[in-house]
Amino acid sequence: MKFFRSVGEVFGYSPFRSLAQHARMCGRAVGLLQRQFEALRLENYEKVEELRDEIDELEHHADQIKEEIRGNVTKSLMLPVDRHDLLEFLKVQDDIINNCEHVGHMVTFRRVRVPTDVWDEFSVLLSKLMEIVNQYEEMVESIRQLIDTSFSKREVERVMEYVPVIEQLEHECDLVQIGLHTKLFNLEDANPLDVHLMVTWVVHLGYIANAAARASDRFRIMVLGR
Amino acid sequence: MVMDILIITAAVVGFYVAWNIGANDAANSMATSYGSRALTLKQIIIIASVLEFCGAALFGKRVTHTVAKGIVPIELLDHNLVVFGALAALLSAGFWITIATYYHLPISTTHSIVGAMLGFGLAAVSHDHLTLEQIRWDVVAKVVLSWIVSPLMGAAIAFVVFMLIRVILFSRYTSAGIEHVFRYLQVLTACYMAFAHGSNDVANATGPIAAIMGYSGEVPFWVLFFGGIGIAIGIATWGYRVIETVGKQITELTYTRGFSAEFATATTVLAASSLGMPVSTTHTLVGGVIGVGLAGGLASVNLRIVQKIIFSWIVTVPVAAAMTISLYTLVVVFI
Repeated sequence: MKFFRSVGEVFGYSPFRSLAQHARMCGRAVGLLQRQFEALRLENYEKVEELRDEIDELEHHADQIKEEIRGNVTKSLMLPVDRHDLLEFLKVQDDIINNCEHVGHMVTFRRVRVPTDVWDEFSVLLSKLMEIVNQYEEMVESIRQLIDTSFSKREVERVMEYVPVIEQLEHECDLVQIGLHTKLFNLEDANPLDVHLMVTWVVHLGYIANAAARASDRFRIMVLGR
Repeated sequence: MVMDILIITAAVVGFYVAWNIGANDAANSMATSYGSRALTLKQIIIIASVLEFCGAALFGKRVTHTVAKGIVPIELLDHNLVVFGALAALLSAGFWITIATYYHLPISTTHSIVGAMLGFGLAAVSHDHLTLEQIRWDVVAKVVLSWIVSPLMGAAIAFVVFMLIRVILFSRYTSAGIEHVFRYLQVLTACYMAFAHGSNDVANATGPIAAIMGYSGEVPFWVLFFGGIGIAIGIATWGYRVIETVGKQITELTYTRGFSAEFATATTVLAASSLGMPVSTTHTLVGGVIGVGLAGGLASVNLRIVQKIIFSWIVTVPVAAAMTISLYTLVVVFI
């Protein structure tokens, strides 16, 4: 249809749905990682590589969303939050999925041989991460309610309750990491290369938790800094 | 004989302008109710047609008066010249609106017709039928001022209304409950909007027609009736498609936001109608939406449209005036 004039243009590009979608992708990536570690334990290496490719693809898609947001959030838009805060938040959120991708690759570098209790510790770490991103996703999804109520005090308070929860979980994650490190460095008859690689995994899994905690902090800054 | 042809032409072009107002301007002002899903397309068409017509027929007098003889003192001119001039103005405005519509430019029918009538006045001056001082520059200044004030007033009212909703309601009740109530209120503001729009924009078609019909002081009811019918037909035959298209671009508008923007726009436009000021409803509505955005009610407002609107003001008035001067000169020279 060609013959019309429109006021529709006054409604600008809204980045919030895409932000929530990007957060959901971070959650899915952690879910895939969790399955990758299960496959590792079962020595199903074909599955491990399959999942790595899936995470890769997801990360690529998330990058596209990130680019879409960055390309559209221009200065001429009037948003209910500060534009710089929003872009900074997105950048940190993107670190979550980036680190998932790194770990997804690292687990395919070498086939490690380890006792089952190490795998148990890894699944504890992964389920902690899962808990974090689940909370994180819920928090970012509530941006919708925040906008619907145009950031009513009550709603802001409710959403802000997620941040200390995520920070607490991140702390618990740190403790699991410390335990895992101690265990790995005390595996007397393990291959040093295996130990080295697994330590790297632990470090990078820690980055995921860190990124989620930092992103939730940036989210708080964005919401409160209006 | 020539006169009859000119009058028939004026009726046809006047009807086309009214139709275009219905198809585009009325549709745009109703699209906010469709975008928020307060009403179905069918309900909107019925409400818009009926209330635009009522607004035009019952309340369209003052603005029609301003357009017909407020700017150009037609009582000082030979009636034949008035027919030529008003017809030239109507044709130019109709032509410019068509071009702008085709290229999706956010121009205002009001600005086109006021520019065109001013062009008629200037052409009469250049042919020594009037002196430059006889053009009512005080009215022109007031009209231009109203074009600046109306979007600002729309923004200010919308800002205050939405702020009140925010402070009083959103802090106490759930957003779902509030929106539910405002769905019904938005039906009322949709009616209010259609009525206000009809009362103001009908003059863009009826003003020149009234001048052609030998307007002396009182606008004949049938002229407003004619304009109202044109608008209603415009909504029913083409406007519904515009409502659908524009409504799809307006998905961010919930009932509370739609209510605030519509209430502000309708109030501003109706106030302008009672003062006899021809203002642009669409520009006022843009102001209203920005007001809601300023109150923190919208996910994103594209401020670039403000530039576009200012640009369209600057272009529309001289273009419509220049076209009218050319047409008028051609007619006067050859007939």
